[in-house]
Amino acid sequence: MRFVASDGVVRLADALASQFDLFAPREVDGKLVLARLSEAVGDRPPPAWNAFRLPDSLKPLWFQSGKILSRWTRDGPVPGPVPRPRAVFGAKACDLRALAILDRVLREHDFKEPAWCAAREQNFIVAGDCSDAAPSCFCTMFGEQPWPRDGYDLSLSPVDGGFILVAGSERGQEVLEAALPDAPPPTRAQTAERDEIRAALQERIIAQNEQYATHDPFETSIEKQLRTRIWGRLAATCVECNACNIVCPTCHCFLLFDRAEGAGAVRFSQWDSCFHAGYARMAGGGTPRLQLVERFKNHYFHKFVSFPRNWGMTACTGCGRCIDACMGRIDKRACLRRLETEWMPSEVLADVE
Amino acid sequence: MSNDATNHFVPVAAELLDVIVETPTIRTFVLRPARPLRFRAGQFVQLELPGLGEAPFTPSSSPQEPERIEITVLRTGLVTDALHRLEPGARLGLRGPFGRGYPVRRFPGQDVLVVGGGVGLAPLRSLLHHLFADPQSARRVSIQYGARSPAELCFRRQYDDWARRDRVTFRATIDRPHDDWDGHVGLVTTLLDDLDLDPATTYAVSCGPEVMLKFVAWKLRDIGFPAERIYLSMNRSMSCGMGLCGRCNIGPYYLCKDGPDLCYADIEDIPYALG
Repeated sequence: MRFVASDGVVRLADALASQFDLFAPREVDGKLVLARLSEAVGDRPPPAWNAFRLPDSLKPLWFQSGKILSRWTRDGPVPGPVPRPRAVFGAKACDLRALAILDRVLREHDFKEPAWCAAREQNFIVAGDCSDAAPSCFCTMFGEQPWPRDGYDLSLSPVDGGFILVAGSERGQEVLEAALPDAPPPTRAQTAERDEIRAALQERIIAQNEQYATHDPFETSIEKQLRTRIWGRLAATCVECNACNIVCPTCHCFLLFDRAEGAGAVRFSQWDSCFHAGYARMAGGGTPRLQLVERFKNHYFHKFVSFPRNWGMTACTGCGRCIDACMGRIDKRACLRRLETEWMPSEVLADVE
Repeated sequence: MSNDATNHFVPVAAELLDVIVETPTIRTFVLRPARPLRFRAGQFVQLELPGLGEAPFTPSSSPQEPERIEITVLRTGLVTDALHRLEPGARLGLRGPFGRGYPVRRFPGQDVLVVGGGVGLAPLRSLLHHLFADPQSARRVSIQYGARSPAELCFRRQYDDWARRDRVTFRATIDRPHDDWDGHVGLVTTLLDDLDLDPATTYAVSCGPEVMLKFVAWKLRDIGFPAERIYLSMNRSMSCGMGLCGRCNIGPYYLCKDGPDLCYADIEDIPYALG
């Protein structure tokens, strides 16, 4: 554990930029976004500090839509390319949680997504405590906290005059020693300050979500409602734009997409969305979830019931990006609360057939 | 079927050796993969037309012949239309096998009821090959098959051979009366009224259109089959084949990984599982 002044972060970014394709928060038109930082040291802006998660999740860094998975060459099929290792600044606890969720599916599974595995082996993650919360943040509804616990190489906690820097991996420790050999350990007052900031923010997030508080597990509420009419009310303003899927750090549905290329062919994986009417359409035209309300229900069922059952984790981090992105103003917290509280046995469908 | 070192997104090249015309809309494609493709009866492969796309099929050939894979295809969409235009010599790709396959380990000492509809007999034929190859694989095999018309009966040349076998019963029906047909007429469920089988010691396996599967499942329950003894080859759109891409779920089950044959007991309470 070290204390670094703010310019130490710039030295850290310089060190990482020499080894990695570096991404960090950057102000563009007054807003922070996740951007690739220029590789030229003189021109490179320092990573901006993001007080809470960025509008962008980390998903596109290693799970790009349009990624090439395989090619047909003259000699037959070969695997797609493995991208240059990437490093990222600005990861928050919910972002790391999302990577752990994606790892369950793409990495810790009988079948692996080879490019994701290769990228995750090599990536370097500089995480940070949240120093503020968006109105849509609700990580605490999943028992999470707004500071990273694991899954990072280095983590920054803002304190007066700089940051407390913690290594979360051997590689993180090596980079820290090499880039900031003179950084002193933090004082007791500095770690106490960090702990106070953390606790205060956690309380604030809990308080801002008081109105959405639930008691039953989400799984119980959703299963209870599987045959009721509530889903039509929850989905009433959904326009099937797929924004929630796209901004979601854990949604990972994709479609393999083939295209002829010269005398050969190339196969991409393209992000997909469970809200598309054609998402599960079969050859011949049949589709199992023709009605939007069924797709809406499936989205919740997958995230909060079947994913935990299959993979041992809820496929939602409480990051709130889907709330910010929804043009129908559908708030996942409100939906989860309504699924628990709006229980009307009179509208249970005896038989959905 | 996991294998850490293998990239399951990259197909194995396969040469199209022969095309067998089964019906006006169904053809069997005989393929020689660049390396043997070992599969269990009921497991499926993704068959790829390079540059166009791929579609999932359970081979209709014997699991004991991994060097020569037969895939029987109904012409019904983008990939299958293009497949039907292919001539021997074409270069294709195969990925897999994927899925669990039929629950053949439960079959020894039991009777097996095979209920097929239309091209649904194709995947079931890999099971028949398995059952015919080993007398210990099951006690008796009862095959009940339905198609819309005589012209649409798949693998018609083979029915006599199947019916002549010891332990095997074969019956076919067509949906409506036809001049070229003097056999049973009616939906395939009408064949299930007078089965000489004890539901307590029989496993039922069915493949066909979803609406047929629903009525077959209901019929089997009516005549005393426990839901635990009914397996249905479910239909869903698939892409990756390995439980990553997300689209083939029925409730919590991924058809590609947990199926494509699911036990009726696991899905009977899931809304819209059977349409």
